Amino acid sequence: MKPEILHRKLERYITGKSMPAETKQIQTWLSCTSPDKPLTPEEKSLLELEILQELQAHTAYPLFYPKKNKSWWQKITALF
Amino acid sequence: MSRIFTEDQVLIDRLGINDTDAFEELYRRYWYGLYRYCVKKLHSEKDARIIVRDIFVAIWEKRETLPVSFSISKYLYEEVRNKVVKCLNQKLADANFSGCVEQWLDTEFSVQSLQAARMPVKKEYTFINKPSELIRQQTGQIGIEHNTIDSIKWMFQSLTTKLSLNHLLSYTKN
Repeated sequence: MKPEILHRKLERYITGKSMPAETKQIQTWLSCTSPDKPLTPEEKSLLELEILQELQAHTAYPLFYPKKNKSWWQKITALF
Repeated sequence: MSRIFTEDQVLIDRLGINDTDAFEELYRRYWYGLYRYCVKKLHSEKDARIIVRDIFVAIWEKRETLPVSFSISKYLYEEVRNKVVKCLNQKLADANFSGCVEQWLDTEFSVQSLQAARMPVKKEYTFINKPSELIRQQTGQIGIEHNTIDSIKWMFQSLTTKLSLNHLLSYTKN
């Protein structure tokens, strides 16, 4: 599909003015779940941390709600 | 991070009282699914990252006004789809980008691939002759050493033997 045509279709979809066939086409594309290559555990944990740091930088929640240090017995009970 | 599984609704309630641990737990639970979906749809890791971040920033910002019956999975499902559509639209509006986007749009929006998307998902089965090989694969996936499984198996075997022996002994006594 030509990008120009799809752009117009998406524009209409976003503004809620698309035809039923266009809606069906876009929603089918959104629901398409073809398998892809998963990340390795190392890549995954690194990316998880990076996005979390970005989140913290955006919201600045650690500044407003700093984590309280748990007592030793709370740390132990959290393991079970 | 606690090993006890806490339900989403409990985490949402705790989020309402500014519990950052609950927020991070929700993030850890859902970020990867959202990320993979975005990468699959937009073919861009950078955009996927931005979408995931924006979704969770929005959740944090409206934590105090979330409705009582708020379903996070439903919210994330709707939000990620909307953001993917908006991001693709933005990409298409950018004239420089259209050239490289055109290549995968042709295949993804073709009638064949959309028809395939409407078919029920089939799980792929692999047949393995040796059960030990299967155990090794499964334990590798969940990050447990094969030796650990062996020791657990041995423990169970000895326990069952002892229990059955005790049972037999108590039965003979009676």
